[in-house]
Amino acid sequence: MRYVIVGLHAAGRSACAWLRRLRPDASIVGVDPEAMPPYARPLISYVLSGELEPGQLNVEGPDFWDRLGVRVVSERATALDPDKKILTLASGRQEPYDCLLVATGSSPRPAGVQGSAAKEIHYFRTRGHVERILAACRPGGSAAVLGGGLVGFKLTMGLLARGMRVHLLVTSPQPLALNVDERVGAWAAEQLAALPNLALQTCVTAQSMEPEPSGGYRLTLDTGESLTVDLVAAGKGVIPASGWLDGSGLACADGLAVDQRLLTAAPEVYAAGDTAICRDVALGAPRINAIWPLAVEQGRFAAWNMAGQDCPYPGGLAMNSIPLFGRHVVSVGAVNPRLTRGCVSEVAEDRQGRYLKLVFDGSSGRIVGALGLDAAPRLGELTWAVRRGLTRDDIPTHWRRAPLSAAPLAARTEWLAKAAGL
Amino acid sequence: MVVKSVIIRPELCVGCMQCMIRCAEAHSESGVLALAVSEAVLAKPRIHIGVGPELRPFPNKCRHCEPAPCQEACMPGAIRSDIAEGLKIVDMARCIGCGMCGMVCPYFAIRYYPAAQVAGHGAVAIKCDGCHERVARGQVPACVEACVTGALAFEDVNRHMNAGVNRLANAALGVTA
Repeated sequence: MRYVIVGLHAAGRSACAWLRRLRPDASIVGVDPEAMPPYARPLISYVLSGELEPGQLNVEGPDFWDRLGVRVVSERATALDPDKKILTLASGRQEPYDCLLVATGSSPRPAGVQGSAAKEIHYFRTRGHVERILAACRPGGSAAVLGGGLVGFKLTMGLLARGMRVHLLVTSPQPLALNVDERVGAWAAEQLAALPNLALQTCVTAQSMEPEPSGGYRLTLDTGESLTVDLVAAGKGVIPASGWLDGSGLACADGLAVDQRLLTAAPEVYAAGDTAICRDVALGAPRINAIWPLAVEQGRFAAWNMAGQDCPYPGGLAMNSIPLFGRHVVSVGAVNPRLTRGCVSEVAEDRQGRYLKLVFDGSSGRIVGALGLDAAPRLGELTWAVRRGLTRDDIPTHWRRAPLSAAPLAARTEWLAKAAGL
Repeated sequence: MVVKSVIIRPELCVGCMQCMIRCAEAHSESGVLALAVSEAVLAKPRIHIGVGPELRPFPNKCRHCEPAPCQEACMPGAIRSDIAEGLKIVDMARCIGCGMCGMVCPYFAIRYYPAAQVAGHGAVAIKCDGCHERVARGQVPACVEACVTGALAFEDVNRHMNAGVNRLANAALGVTA
């Protein structure tokens, strides 16, 4: 059996490790131009802020792939022929396969800024991106960050830590609008507004970017204002890196649709991670949740299925853990106001300002989301609860009354039985 | 093969919290309770007594799952399974305190505190390490040593499972031993 894994980051690396456990003798080929040495992409924000050295991005040694028995081809995949079962690489070389996993992840979403200097906008996804931003940083300089989501927020904090003055330009009425509710969003905005060297502007979009004769760039906003800055960086979300599959009959612009076994429309072609459109258990609809833990998990399920087991993937959900101004925000499932219309929420709070919000579907009572401020460890249970489809009645009163000291929800044997389908 | 692990029988727990104290003591710098309470960074327990069903005490600790969601979510690869067999152990030097592991642990078994072992690092993930160093020295985990009611026991998992299956079968068939 010849397995080919296209993309060797979170999903691909997980799939390779599990395939090797399940199929010790199989031939596994990994295709990725950026595979060596394996590193964790989400850690680049810690490198930007100076909390980690660039070398600490590496999560495995240089001999990792050899030890795993994976032959790595450091090239970009350019085409797939599912009928002939052949993968074509940038050099023209062809790799035949019996079973293939698409784990090419995603690319930064273009910032949508016009102008002759727009191509010099920095994005923030790979080791190369952070190296380029660090090279362009200078203490006392000014930067504009486009996007108030998680990536924009991390860019902002990193650039501030590097001594730059930052203009954070957010299209939504508040930062982190997709990840938190109005209350935590307002708290985050308050904290951001109090930071020295930071100017936060909401409900604003950058329209064009031109070079300044004296150096730097002039950024024109939709409000008519303009800013002169030394560096522009954008965190506007990601788009699936599935463009190379145009012509294979598989791709759609929004990613690869997969079935419960993470199998695409082509036989023996699986997809996992940021390219795979899976069922979102909170929303009950297909959706890509481009986050690290789901990519690793999907890599594992894909490997199990590629190895011949029948392992339906239970579905993913949005979840984020955000260290924020010395506190810890965790959000799971549907919490932002746009997705929670018609939902009922319940809030627990204590004198230390710890905040836990549970969001229930208005009609079925099923828990669809949770948000915590300094209640981080508790959110894992609620992730579990959302995935298991627990309802408001399943969460005992004593848990709701004292969520910071109650035993875990999973301690209830009847729920364990429910989870096991007994 | 004998695989020993801490087995919890919540029905025997009286909520005395001695396990928490002895766990923190065992993970302190000095390893001695009288000195541990005045250490600069207080050691924290890795086992917790929570309020369980019917408001009864429920000892709660890491189950060292396989595959472990916390290990899959850990971006810097700080949760390791190559330190001691069958255990998922946090390598504090690699932990960045991002909270991803707590976000996916269904058992509320991971918490975040500063640790003396990585002073100046900020909060890191603190969870049961199976007292692997004590076990390697021939001791039992500190929480088990502290438990006088038998709610915590260090037993062969397979024997425990067999005993559980027998109890269940006897109950189902109405057999009284």
